[in-house]
Amino acid sequence: MEVQNLSKSRNVILGGIIGGILGFYILYLFYLQVLQGEFYQKRATSISQQSVPIYAQRGEIYDRNFDVPLVSNVDSFAVDLIPAEVPKEERDIIYGKLASYLKVPMEEVKKRIPPSLENLYQPIEIKSRVSLETLSFLAENIDEFPGLTWHNKPIRNYTQGKSLSHVLGYVGDITREELQVLFNKGYTYGSVLGKSGIEKQYDLILRGEDGKQFRTVDVKGRRVGEALVQDVPPTLGKTLVLTIDRRIQKLCEDALGNRIGSVVVLKPSTGEVLALVSNPSYDPNLFYDERGNLLFRDLSLDPKFPFLNRAIQSAYVPASTFKMILTTAAIEEEAIPLQKTITCTGSYTLGDRVFYCHRRSGHGPLNLFGALAESCNVFFYTLGSEYLGVEKIVEYAQRFGLGEKTGIDLPGEVSGVVPSPGWKKRVYNSRWVGGDTVNLSIGQGQLLVTPIQMANAMAMVVNGGTVYKPHLLKEVRDPISGKVIEEVKPEVLTVSTIQESTFKLVRDALRYVVTSGTPKPVITTKAVQVAGKTGTGEVGLDDRWHSWFIAYAPYNDDDPREKIVLVVQVEAANEWEWWAPKAANIILHGIFTGLSYQEVLGSMDLWYLKATSGGER
Amino acid sequence: MNTGTSLRFDFSLLAAAIILTGIGVAFVYSSGVTSTGEVYSSEYIKQTIWAFLGIVILFAVSLVDYNRFKGWAFRIYLGNLVLLLLTLLFGKVVNGSKSWIGIWELGIQPSEFMKVSTILYLASFLERYPYRMFTWTGFFMALGIVLLPMALILIQPDFGTAMVFIPIFFFMVFTAGAKLEYILFFLAMGTLSILFTILPVYGTLLAKRAPTFFIRLGDSDIVTILLSGFIGITLLSFLGLWLTKRRYLYWSGYGGLVLSGSLIASLVFRKFLKSYQLMRLMVFLNPSIDPKGAGWNIIQSITAVGSGGFWGKGFLQGPHSHFRYIPQQSTDFIFSIIAEELGFIGSAFVILLFGVLLFRGLRILTLTKDPFVRYASSGICGMIFFHVAINIGMAMGIMPITGIPLFFLSYGGSSLITVMIGVGLLSNFYLRRYKY
Repeated sequence: MEVQNLSKSRNVILGGIIGGILGFYILYLFYLQVLQGEFYQKRATSISQQSVPIYAQRGEIYDRNFDVPLVSNVDSFAVDLIPAEVPKEERDIIYGKLASYLKVPMEEVKKRIPPSLENLYQPIEIKSRVSLETLSFLAENIDEFPGLTWHNKPIRNYTQGKSLSHVLGYVGDITREELQVLFNKGYTYGSVLGKSGIEKQYDLILRGEDGKQFRTVDVKGRRVGEALVQDVPPTLGKTLVLTIDRRIQKLCEDALGNRIGSVVVLKPSTGEVLALVSNPSYDPNLFYDERGNLLFRDLSLDPKFPFLNRAIQSAYVPASTFKMILTTAAIEEEAIPLQKTITCTGSYTLGDRVFYCHRRSGHGPLNLFGALAESCNVFFYTLGSEYLGVEKIVEYAQRFGLGEKTGIDLPGEVSGVVPSPGWKKRVYNSRWVGGDTVNLSIGQGQLLVTPIQMANAMAMVVNGGTVYKPHLLKEVRDPISGKVIEEVKPEVLTVSTIQESTFKLVRDALRYVVTSGTPKPVITTKAVQVAGKTGTGEVGLDDRWHSWFIAYAPYNDDDPREKIVLVVQVEAANEWEWWAPKAANIILHGIFTGLSYQEVLGSMDLWYLKATSGGER
Repeated sequence: MNTGTSLRFDFSLLAAAIILTGIGVAFVYSSGVTSTGEVYSSEYIKQTIWAFLGIVILFAVSLVDYNRFKGWAFRIYLGNLVLLLLTLLFGKVVNGSKSWIGIWELGIQPSEFMKVSTILYLASFLERYPYRMFTWTGFFMALGIVLLPMALILIQPDFGTAMVFIPIFFFMVFTAGAKLEYILFFLAMGTLSILFTILPVYGTLLAKRAPTFFIRLGDSDIVTILLSGFIGITLLSFLGLWLTKRRYLYWSGYGGLVLSGSLIASLVFRKFLKSYQLMRLMVFLNPSIDPKGAGWNIIQSITAVGSGGFWGKGFLQGPHSHFRYIPQQSTDFIFSIIAEELGFIGSAFVILLFGVLLFRGLRILTLTKDPFVRYASSGICGMIFFHVAINIGMAMGIMPITGIPLFFLSYGGSSLITVMIGVGLLSNFYLRRYKY
């Protein structure tokens, strides 16, 4: 009986435990569902909302005239497949059919939809840039392709083709590596990214901001209902207006022809780049073609490096153009009286080494102006090694901005090299010798400069010491109204302490070069007074040299805004025809008369187009 | 043969069971419907068949004199153990545990039926030797009856099902009048061994926020020192008790044994528990440890329950469930879809139905004079209660995920038939309450 009684009280305890816990559960349910209900309601909603990007239209790019776009967008379609909607049994048949209509290999389709994604309810892009014709065919036969969808994916249209490709660049799908770097800037997988040129430099402005379209999805990403959240519309990419003048650009490209080299035209008064040519070039439109990848690979492997923007990414020996800087140093430092003559015998001896002038018979006695005009090497050997010394030469080279990037708004600029005793010790671990100074005096040896640096150096002479940072972006405009949102103001890069009177003398000397020096026979234009300097760079070949011409015009005009700086660089890889000054002649004539290349050829009687011949040497 | 049977069924008990079964079929159907309304699972058809079969069994069990079951109890228990052994040898592996046995498509889970078999045999054992509950040896004999099937099920391994035997045991020995210190001994040991198992792992996962003591428990040197200390206390106490017969030495030995026993058990657990099982326990303590992995179920389930609100989203209208955010929707997480679609009203009603069922079951304990009936009823109530408390608690995120189905509601024939037999027994006991 004792057990019986014990049992009774223990029943109550068991009842209490059961009742207590069930009661607590009901209270807790009330807490979860009623008191906290709204919170969980929201969380349930957010979990089942998914956003898909609405891609923003990329901004267009214009030249300074803002009339015809250099880069626009063309409607194009991408075909997608929702893998989970493809019936399992027919998968191979459907993939095969689709591949043949889209003209892609079957493996490509299978690569894009690996087995791990076969149950995904989100569209996967099979092929972009599908023609409207193909797409309409697929759309008409949609029953044969369960799971097929498509979306609008505009492609870039480079209206100038091969022209300007180094400036404009091109775009492509973002790679995994790029995404890792750019993720925090709002890029996502599937973003289109500028890969070079302006497209890369100003990608953030051009790309706009992708919008978001919300939809309610289940755990597998299947669309199951109307969205509960308002869509976020995309922000269009901004329109860019470049400083490039399409006409001058074309003129320069034509004048360079198919020669390997580059041309820079800039306005020294602001740093605006009017033309930037690099040859060989490529047509970015072709990358978006069926065989785009193949072409891209071929271009990458081309020994002529068509992707290289030679105006800013390639450094050359400046050769005799460097004499302009030595002349400035000589005047500023008063190292040698202007009238003092040095007699050129055709060679210069230092210790046991003999350095020759390009005229082996010698120029005879020449003063500074005369030596610059004749580009006499012996005079400058003597000036450099005996009157200035290596420190001064290096100092002036650096004051002209050599060895440093100009900061032009294009990616991948190189800085070139200004050799010095310290540099040689560091890089080659050998002592600077007198012969190095001699070589440096005529811009040979290890000195390396980019065409854009030489344009800047010339701009310093023209402006009397001030150099504006060269730039390609002129304005940012609203993509719809066309209103200017932001205007790029000229930015001072350096202000030299060299006296204005020195620069005045240098300008006179450069004019004297054109009127009575080496380039006299080829600078035949009467449209404008040209001042400049030629250069012929030794590259170790017997019959070929780099050909330079750096110039500004007009020489006599007082209005700085009218002045332009021109740099032409033709690589030694070409047939030797001393083309740089000859091209400069055509370009300057064209710029100042408003004529095109063909019109210039028609109106001027250019002797050198009939029979090519060697020039200075 | 039914002399003494008034044939007055406990209608509230039967009504609760049948309504719950009906709700179960409805929500097994709901869980097999996608948001677009297509039915992708035929589970509800099978469940309907099981439901009818279960109700037939319920009545069948309630009509046979329970004394026959009592007479067969040992044979049933033994037969079921053999079946468990056969399952271990020839069973089919489902969800990582070898718990199914059968021919062709028909299969059963002997471990489910083992619960009822054990209850019957333990009840008859306790009836035969009521005073054994006042000695340690008797208590351990009763424990052995439970530990044997538990061990076989743990080998499968089916941790959740094995755990059910613990409340069954405690409910029954508690009702049978076991000394509280015996029960306390095992409760304390169980709790401590779980804590000793989890705390070091939990501590390392939370690294900075957990007391360093948690992590130290994983250090084998410290465990050795603690363990030898505990064992030393235990041995000294019992030696002293034997020599001096002082009462307090009994209690210090008792404490030392609890501590050293649970520490040893935790070492064994840590060795044999699968990492996902440890993770589940940990995630229960803090779901945000692993939100995409083991914590996913808990977070999704709480969200589904919470978003049901007061009135619910309506039958077949719960987006969270129909978008298939919750795995094992029709089995382990059936309660979350009920809570989402029927809201607080519906889910509280479900809990109340279980309450009715359990209290009608407990009432038999006061109505009958037959100790066997009392013990068996207590065991059945303990079993049902444990399933309800763990499963619903799990859906609400206040109990660890153990894979224990919710009786009547979760999809699955074996568990439904098991609980039907259990309720059938309760009904049987009720019918014959005055017979003894």
